[in-house]
Amino acid sequence: MTGISRRDVIRTCAVGAAMVGSGAFASPLDGPRQLPVHLDKGAFAAAVKELRAVVGAEWVFADPESTLPYAKSFTPDPRHENVPSGAVAPASVEEIQAILKIANKYKLPLWTVSTGKNMGYGCATPASSGQMILDLKRMNRIIEIDAELGTALVEPGVTYQDLRDYLDEHNLPFWLDVPTVGPIVSPLGNTLERGVGYTPYGDHFFMQCGMEVVLADGTVVRTGMGSVKNSTTWQAFKWGYGPYIDGIFTQSNFGVVTKLGFWLMPKPPAFKPFMVRHNAMEDVSKIVDAMRPFRMNNLIPNVVLMMGAAYQIAMFHRREELWDKPESIPDDVVRDFAKKHGLGMWNTYFALYGTDEIIAAVEPIVRGAFEASGGEVLTEKEMGGNLWFEHHKNLMSGQLTLEEKGIMRWRGGGMCCFAPVAPAKGIETQQQTELAKEILGKYGFDYSVAYAIGGRELHHLIFIQYDKENPVEEKKADDCIREMVTRFGERGWASYRTGVNTMDLVAKQYGEANRTLNARLKQALDPNHILSPGKQGIA
Amino acid sequence: MSAVARYRPVAAYLMAFALSAAPGLAASATTAPAPRPPEAVYAKTCGYCHGQHVAPIIRGRGLPVEVIEQYVRSGPRGMVAFRPTEISDVELKVLAKWLNASKADPKEKGE
Repeated sequence: MTGISRRDVIRTCAVGAAMVGSGAFASPLDGPRQLPVHLDKGAFAAAVKELRAVVGAEWVFADPESTLPYAKSFTPDPRHENVPSGAVAPASVEEIQAILKIANKYKLPLWTVSTGKNMGYGCATPASSGQMILDLKRMNRIIEIDAELGTALVEPGVTYQDLRDYLDEHNLPFWLDVPTVGPIVSPLGNTLERGVGYTPYGDHFFMQCGMEVVLADGTVVRTGMGSVKNSTTWQAFKWGYGPYIDGIFTQSNFGVVTKLGFWLMPKPPAFKPFMVRHNAMEDVSKIVDAMRPFRMNNLIPNVVLMMGAAYQIAMFHRREELWDKPESIPDDVVRDFAKKHGLGMWNTYFALYGTDEIIAAVEPIVRGAFEASGGEVLTEKEMGGNLWFEHHKNLMSGQLTLEEKGIMRWRGGGMCCFAPVAPAKGIETQQQTELAKEILGKYGFDYSVAYAIGGRELHHLIFIQYDKENPVEEKKADDCIREMVTRFGERGWASYRTGVNTMDLVAKQYGEANRTLNARLKQALDPNHILSPGKQGIA
Repeated sequence: MSAVARYRPVAAYLMAFALSAAPGLAASATTAPAPRPPEAVYAKTCGYCHGQHVAPIIRGRGLPVEVIEQYVRSGPRGMVAFRPTEISDVELKVLAKWLNASKADPKEKGE
């Protein structure tokens, strides 16, 4: 571990001095900046002035210093294609409507974020430079929790931490399903990105129920039952009447989602976490084949995480503790280090939920299947106190943690996620693992992964960790993820989600008819293309 | 700027902008939330990483106030950047002073 070095402190002070120096400009807008390609400085300045009149001067960020936190990203951007021009932070639907009117007038592109902490995919940065960030963090009301139905309705700026605090304060017996970085991110944002968690409610979009959307022309639409006068079922019934439209507002740029409903998991009377330890990289195939029937018949009800050892080690350790060479870490080095910490090459975490009787009935069935696959089935009895076991126990019971953020320190602050989908078949996961290792090896990166196992598929979450302060390494990381997207695509394996730097590349893999349909919807709903142009490859 | 003066321009915009009739809920609150004490900001944000084996211990090290402020807003290397919409300028100033003067917490882990 390197801690805070004197070099960091000196450098940070130098950056600060440079930023303070930017105050020497007659106007903040005179400073160097990245503008939208079709907007000149005068038009941009006029738009900023009007935005300030809507939200107040302190909530428009249009100088280099105040834009800095919006430009922070872990993903590679060697050609500076993901640099925002500034940000505007409304506090209400009405302010959003006013902002959209200005954006339409000036053709000002707005990149919408809820909390902007999408760490493997670009944080708050836009798919093309010059976009202004529409930061919805100030809209942070928990509008309603229905304690009888177990439903929530929240605004974009509400974090999982806010929600957890609310549930605790009101003594409401519900668990949350959190993503990896729950405390500082938004249920609305994560659900719109179709993120996943760790409990039986782990498919977040599946558990979503009703939303409110502001369209580019300012129209407010409520989906599902939400547009019915005096409706009492907005968060109770997903499908509404007629075409189901919630999906077109996820991973898209067709509107600004300002409210989101979703379901909360009743706290179960009993919960038992398990870890299955396998010691060889090749065991991936056996694990998937053993797990598949239990996810299909729901005997194992939660989103299961099959964690690669290198990823887990990176949470709490630095690369130099294992390996001091530039090429990928050999498997045997990872295996030996993992073993010292109670981990195998693959560590699969699942849990049983319900009553003691239900768990006692199911445990022997799953235990038998995983032991037959060559795994060691471990519980709190053997693993209690182990940092990684405790981490997954917490996640599978909806508790908040940021421990996986440690992986960003593996190689100097750079990280991006490539997330192809695999069918839940052992042979194809084995092939994906082999292909990923081959490509990563070519660039000298480590195979640092997690497989998230849904009902019939797996998200193969491959984390490219690199030194973002080294331009050569940043270029390599960019080349690497592009090669991975392309070569996995040639095998028919496409991403379920991707970073701002590869959105267009992935969109091409979904075919021309799909792209054209999205383009036609975009043209109809946002003819000036002011909302997040380039999001998921939709201009 | 007072809350009333600040929202007057919005009202003007709304007069000119078609608002669809959305039933039910009231508009957002118009008052700024009260600043959170530094202990709460630390516990609910910084303390998930710092002192948890993930990021360096920062309590009890006398880190300069201006360095803390710059780190929070810029997010160097593996750290996330936090915006004024997440940790307000007022909260950050108080947090930085509190951290600078804080004693080490023996319960924290790591280096």
